[in-house]
This record gives sequence, C-alpha cells and structure tokens, in this order.
Amino acid sequence: MRSATRLLIWIVVALALVLAPLGLPPFAMTLLTEAVILGLFAMSLDLMFGYTRLVSFGHAAAYGFGAYACGWMLLHTGMPLLFAVFAAGLLTGFIAIGVGWMCTLATGVSFSMLTLAFAQLLYAISFKWTSVTGGSDGLAGIPRTIGPFGFAALSSKIGFYYLALGCLVGGFLVCSALVRSPFGAVLRGIRENEGKTTALGYNTRLYKIAVVAVSYGLGGLAGALYAPFAGFANTELLFWLLSGQVLIMVIVGGAGTLIGPVLGAAFFMLMEHQLSALTEAWALYFGLIFIAFVLFAPEGIWGLATTRLRRAAPRP
Amino acid sequence: MSTLALLLTQFVNALSQAALLFFLGVGLTLIFGLMRIVNFAHGALYMLGAFVGYSLSSWSGNYWLALAGAPVLVGLFGAAFEFSILRRLYRRDAHAFLMVTFGLALVVGEAVRLIWGSDALQVPAPPLLSGVIFLLDEPFPVYRLFLAATGAVVAVAIWQFLERSRLGLLIRATSQNADMANALGVDIKLIRSCVFGIGCGLAALGGVLAAPLVTASNGMAATVIIDAFVIVIIGGMGSFLGSLIGALLIGFVQVFGNYYAPDFALAFMYLVMLAVLVVRPGGLLGKEA
Amino acid sequence: MFGQFRPSRRAMLKVGLAGAATVASPAILRLGAEAQTGPIKIGMPLALTGALGSVGQQQKRGAELYAKLQNAKGGILGRPIELLIEDTAGNPANCVRKAQEMVERRDCRLITGVTLSSEALAVVPKLAEWDTIFISSDNGDGRLTAESLVPNFFRANISGPMGTRAVSLYLRSAKLQKFYALGLDYAWGHNSVQVFEQEALKSKKEFLGKIFAPTGTKDYSPYITKIRQSGADAVFLVLQGDDNNAFLSQAQQYRLPEKVKLLTEIVDLASIRAVGDASLGLIGSSRYSFTYDHPLNNEFVAVWKKEHGTVPDTFEGEQWQCMKVFEAGIIKAGGIEAAKLRPALEDIEIESVKGKVHIRKCDHQGVQQGFMVEVVKKPGFETPVPEVIATYPGDSTTPTCNTMTFKD
Repeated sequence: MRSATRLLIWIVVALALVLAPLGLPPFAMTLLTEAVILGLFAMSLDLMFGYTRLVSFGHAAAYGFGAYACGWMLLHTGMPLLFAVFAAGLLTGFIAIGVGWMCTLATGVSFSMLTLAFAQLLYAISFKWTSVTGGSDGLAGIPRTIGPFGFAALSSKIGFYYLALGCLVGGFLVCSALVRSPFGAVLRGIRENEGKTTALGYNTRLYKIAVVAVSYGLGGLAGALYAPFAGFANTELLFWLLSGQVLIMVIVGGAGTLIGPVLGAAFFMLMEHQLSALTEAWALYFGLIFIAFVLFAPEGIWGLATTRLRRAAPRP
Repeated sequence: MSTLALLLTQFVNALSQAALLFFLGVGLTLIFGLMRIVNFAHGALYMLGAFVGYSLSSWSGNYWLALAGAPVLVGLFGAAFEFSILRRLYRRDAHAFLMVTFGLALVVGEAVRLIWGSDALQVPAPPLLSGVIFLLDEPFPVYRLFLAATGAVVAVAIWQFLERSRLGLLIRATSQNADMANALGVDIKLIRSCVFGIGCGLAALGGVLAAPLVTASNGMAATVIIDAFVIVIIGGMGSFLGSLIGALLIGFVQVFGNYYAPDFALAFMYLVMLAVLVVRPGGLLGKEA
Repeated sequence: MFGQFRPSRRAMLKVGLAGAATVASPAILRLGAEAQTGPIKIGMPLALTGALGSVGQQQKRGAELYAKLQNAKGGILGRPIELLIEDTAGNPANCVRKAQEMVERRDCRLITGVTLSSEALAVVPKLAEWDTIFISSDNGDGRLTAESLVPNFFRANISGPMGTRAVSLYLRSAKLQKFYALGLDYAWGHNSVQVFEQEALKSKKEFLGKIFAPTGTKDYSPYITKIRQSGADAVFLVLQGDDNNAFLSQAQQYRLPEKVKLLTEIVDLASIRAVGDASLGLIGSSRYSFTYDHPLNNEFVAVWKKEHGTVPDTFEGEQWQCMKVFEAGIIKAGGIEAAKLRPALEDIEIESVKGKVHIRKCDHQGVQQGFMVEVVKKPGFETPVPEVIATYPGDSTTPTCNTMTFKD
C-alpha cells in the first residue's frame, strides 16, 4: 500500500514537471528552470556530503568551472548547446580527479578547507585570466546555440527547461544507481567508519576520489546549464558564498536523500527571491528560518515530507 | 626610502596585520577545538564588534571604552547564543552547526544593517594613537605599532590563561576529552558557553581594532571569514599556537606579497594554504593526519 | 513544528502566498491595454544590502522622491509612475532573475538602477529579448557605451572614463608633474587608470607607474609604501566604497597627503562622512555635487532638504537626473514602448540638475559637464563637503563615439 502511494506520488510529480510548461506563465517557468539547475547542483553535493561525509566547502568551484567552460565554448566555438553542456560537465569531472586526489590527502575539516582553497584559487584565476574568463566582467551574452543538424528545440525557453529537467532526472538516476550499488555501500562504509572500511581491504581514498569526480562532474553539468540559461558566467559563481549556500540547500532539504537537496535548492532559491521582494531585511528572516530548521526540523524538508506521508498513509 | 627602512616598515605592518588576523583566528580555533564547530558567523561577529565599538565610542567619546566594551558585549551575546541554541545541538550531526551558524551570520549581518544603516561609519583612533613616529626617517602610524603590541599582549594573555588559570585547564581538558572531563565532574555546559563567548569576544576585539583602519561597514564580514579559516587551517584546527603561527604567516604573505607581486595578491594566501596542507594535511600543528 | 517560531511562520506564510500568486497568474503576458494606459512601471533591481548597499540606497531615495513629486503633479502623460524596487544584494544572478520577473510577470518595460557594473553587463544582453529600455544611473564601466553597447541601453550618468577625463583636463593646468595610479583590480579600475595614463602622457606629464588592489583589501600599507616610494607628486585613485574608505583612512595615518596630492575619480558624501577629516584636500571629479550652483540644482537641493533633512549625495543626484531623462523621453515618444522610446531618447536634450544633458545617438551616452571638486570644510556643515572648483563642457569630457579614448 505504502509503495503504491509512493509510486502514485512519483507519477504525479513527474507528470507535473513534464506538463509544467503547458500551464505555467513565462516567469514561473524561468524560476522552475533555475530551481531544476540548482537542484542538480545541490544533488551533486549530496553525493559527497550525505553519502560519504565529504563536506565540500568549495563546491562552487564545480558550478563556476562548468559555467565558464560551457560559456566559453558557446561563445568561441559555436559548438551546439547540447554538446557544450555535456562537454563542460565531463571536463569538470575529469579535472576534479586531480582536485580529489589533492583534497583526499586530508580528512575531516581539513578536507573541507582544501576544497575551499581550490575554489578560492579558481576565483582568483577567474579574476586575473581576463583573456579567457573576461575578468571581473565575466562572460556575457552567452548564446543558446542550435544544432547539431539545425536541431533548435532545446534553445527555446521551454526546450531549455526540458534539457535541464532531463539532466536532473539523468543525474538522479546515476546517483541513485550509484548509491545502491556495491560502490555506494563502500561510500556509506566510509561515512560511518572509514578506518573499518580500510581494514576490510578497501582503498578508501580511490573511492573518495571517484565520488569527488562524479560529484564535481554533476555540479559542473549544473553550472554548464546555468551559463546558457542566464546568458552569463561571472566570478560570483566561484565565490565561497555560493559554496556555503549550496551546503545549506543540501542540509535544508535533507542530506543523504538525493531528492531532499533538490527540494532544498528550490526552497532556498524561491524563498530568497520572494522574501527579498517583500522586505529589504529578507536576510534576517532567511537566517531565522535556517536556525528554526535546525531546531525543529533536523531531517530537513524531505524528512518533514516523509514523516507526514508515513503518518498520513493508512496502515495495512 | 632605504631598503632597510622599507623592510622595517613592512615588517611592522605585517605584525600589525597578523595581530588583527590572530584575534579572528584564535577565537575560531578555540571554538573548534572545544566544540568541533566551524563558526560561519565569526565574520559577522567581527563586524558586530566594529559597530558596537562605533556606538560606544561616539556615545562616550572614549575609544578605550569601546575597545573594552565591544568585546564584552559581543562575547555576552555569543555566550547567550550558545546557551539558548547551540546547547540543544551537541548530540547532533556537525551539519546542524554549519546551518545554525550560517543562519546566525545572516541574522547578525542584517541586524547590523537595520540598526546602523548602510553607510560606512568612522571610528577614529584616539588622539594618543593617531600620530606618527619615525622609523629610520620614515613616518609610521603609531596606531599600527599599537596593534602589533596589542596582538602580542593578547597572545601572551591567552596563552597564560590557558596554561595557568583553572578555567584554562578545564578548557584544555575538555578539548582533549569531553567525556572524560565530564566524568571528572567538569561542568562542560558552562565551559562551552564561556569558550563560545570568549571566541566571539575576540572576534569583536579584532573588529573594533580594525575599525580605525577600514571604518565600520556592512562589507566587513564577507572577506574576513575566509582569512580566518585560512589561518586556522594552516595552523591546525584547534591549536592555539597554530593560529598564532598561521596569523603571522598570512600577515607576512599578505603584506610582502601585495608589495612585491600585487598581481598575485588574491591567489597567494590560498597557494600557501594548499602548500601547507599538501605537506601536512592536518595543518602545521594539527593532530589530524 | 514551527509552533514556537511565530514571526518566521508568518513570513513564510506570506512567502507561500506570493509564491502561489506567481504560479497562479494567467499564462499569457498582458502586453496590451494596461501597459499602454496604466501606470508607468520603472523597474529598479538594486544592491540595497551588501558591500555596495550604500549606493543602492541612494539610488532608491533619488527615484522615490522623483516619483513622489512627479505623481503629485499627475505623473507622466497623465499616467502615475510606479517604481518596482527590489534588492539583489549585488549578485548578478539575483539581478538577472529580478529584472526578468519585472519584465515577464509584472509587465515592466523600463529599467534603471542596476547598481553594479557586473550586474549591468549580465542584464544588457537580454534587453532586446525583453523589449526593454535600460537607462543607467550609476554604471561607470566605459565599455557599456563602447564595445558592449546594445540598442536598448542608455547612460544618463557620467562614466568612469568621463570622470577620469575631467581630472586629466584639470591637471593640464596644474603644477603637478609626476603621477602614480592606484585602481581597484576590476574592469572599472583598469579602464579608468588606462585612460588616465594615456591622458597624462598626452599632456607631457610623467606617469611613473600603476598598481591594482583586489576589492575587499583591508590593509593598504603595501600600496601606500609603493606610492610614497615612486616619488610622484600626486596619485590618481580609482577606488570605491569600503576600499576607498580604507585607503583614505590609512593614507591619512601614514601622513601620505602631506607628500603626495590625492586625486580621485569619484568623490561622494558617504565616503567623506565615513573617513571624516582624512578626506580634506582630496581633489577629484564628481558625478554629482549638491554644491554645483545651477537654478535647477538649487531647487532640487532645497526640495531634498525638505524631504530628508540632509543634502543629496552623488547617486541621489544621478538617479534624479536619470528619471528626468526617462520623463523627457516618454513625453517625446508619447508612450513607453521600446520601439518608440528608443528613437525618442536618441538625440534628446534636457536641462537637469547638472546643466544640459544631451543623449547622443551614436553611443547612447549622456553628454554633460564634467565637474572637479575639492573636499573642504565649510561653515554650517559638520563634515567636509565637496566644493566645485572647475567645470568642463560635455564635449571635452565625453569620449569619441563608441570608444573610451579622447580626441586631443
């Protein structure tokens, strides 16, 4: 019964997302697309944060790098949108192997700080390497190119939404397959007790590097979607503040659930957007909401939703 | 300007900056050492210190009152926050602290803007310290010497406090093994409130001392928190001596780096941090492997 | 679970309702009757909070007073003015989202404010798609009217290169010979220092060197030492906000002004108030100064004093002038549609608080006088004030069309 209810909810949500462009006004679609992109970003961090307890303080590096890489390709190579987005994601993941190798030299908070150092270093580079990054101006006027073979459907507002949604769903399928696989079991082992996992004969560092690469790759994919979505990429996308915000998105949504962080990202973005429209002092309420979450909803939004569901569902 | 004069003034400058960084870093490291909390609100409390200092000095016309009062008030605020909110979270995951201190940073930052407004505010150095002295014929602000001296005094004071006083002993014991200390009858709750308050107070001390250099402004918090993280990480999370070394290292890297290679000014600090962590992943004096 | 937490619960409820309203509004954008006859909506995504919150707040006050007075007179073309003011916290991502909402959901086709140049550069490429006119009131980046110019962008304010040019013209007749430059390490700083260097060399002065500091620099001592060592008579500063305040405070502590004259690209009251006497003797160009003696400005300052009890600051004056440009353009066009307003704004000329402003057709820059001010103590004012010491005609301070360079 309960699994039937769950299935039903999934179908309703999926239908709603697929059919959203039919019923929603243009700006709601803009918000929804951005929420989907940020959702993918937050989900990518959850893989490290929620499943492996690798707390990245520099996840903006993935997002920003993906955005710059995709934006650069779209501006300078005329590569089709679809290819540029995936190429940027792959490139981010590939480079993250090196970052992961360096960062996993350390554990705990030191690991977090190394990821932060890398992100801030990229931030500094993006400022200085003007010929490629546009310096403080960033890259502006990033086009949504068409192709291959004149295929233009993804470049429209609604087409781009489906592209982003496709990436989110694809990312989710990859992540959930990963965490259910034997690989994921090792990750959870690392989360619970790394020493024991090592003692069982696993080279935990390789697993950690792998999860960093996948996580950064998906984060890069999200950034790669953001650049043509917003039409620009600039240094703010690499700034530590964004790294802090995406951590909060994951925690608010519910770490270690994959879906939770997606909801957390949407919640964070919409809340910031709407609160700042109501009051200049939005940051005050925003902060109070986070404190309240910690105190009264420790499992995050997903935790709230699932306990409600469990309570609501009739017992068999 | 002779090379010697140049080196000497830069040296004292670096010491004065290291002092400001040390006030930030040592508070962060004390809090982390005892409670395993990465306090994201540290920059906001530093800013709060500067603004409280502004109000105290313009209300009383006395900078010294501001210097003494701001850390105490902000420290009390910190202790109250620990007492009312953090205290409920010690059994929880570390990420509860991330979010709660991130929330606190937002709340404090916005409260400062609501109370003191958006414009930067002047906190002049007291007349006694606003002159210059001549270092090898080069004018040098007395205030910077005062900063360096204050840094040294506070460092020694904290060190003696940790080594000699009963509370210091309890703090060290609790940092090393909270359960054991608890079993021996130490009131851990009280110690945590005290340390969180002291850490916040030290951040505020940094803020009120920095105010004559940079004015009290809404933008203070954003950049400073990263500096504080870097110092603490280089020194080793939770290490008092480490935070002192980290502050000195970064103070010198910033002053000499900005002078000799200004193009790399932004990147230097992070390169140093990466280099240290690659060689010693737990920081210079950290215990983590 | 939010039972113990009433304020935020209420806030969340409001947010929830607003969110529902966003979703529930009809699917088709109403561009028809109401947009042509209803209130004239002017969107202002501003950095009201964060490091540049002080500037955003000035822009807000300038626009609000204008709207209040103009609405009391019956608005523009008999239509009331409605300002849509929202906070971006200085983040381009927020700014683009806010601007997009103003256009897509609230049917707004006029934009101004956009506090940071990085925000403006992110918004500008979207103007064509949005069919929206954006008149800048504070963006200094020279490129917005040069290589980054788009048809729907106009600039009513003095740009960075124009401010620098005023300083350069002033220096031609000054005794100072040897110069050094310190700028913020981003587009505005680099552009202005570059213009200054070219101008200094053109007028046969010595340019000894330049240095750039990252935004958010707290310790300016290495830069002060460099300036002192260079042996320059004067240093040209391209600093803003916290960085400007930090530099001026610390330069004063080092007694730098006793040896080296401080010249600056931008003088504003907020900064003068923040550093107090450390600003005395500062000479620089001003985007707007309340001390400029002109009938319209005197009238504006009087109205401002009546409303706020203080004198207007730089961006309050700039925003006011920008609103006047909007007003003249909308009246000339007879409406707000971009297709009509764009040609109306091109080549429009108004008399404003800074004297004559002529929006030229070739690059949409507002040609206007350049001002040089000196920060002095004046009876009746608690803090120092900028006094106008020279003005230069707009033709001489505005760059050649679509560039950041000057003819002579």
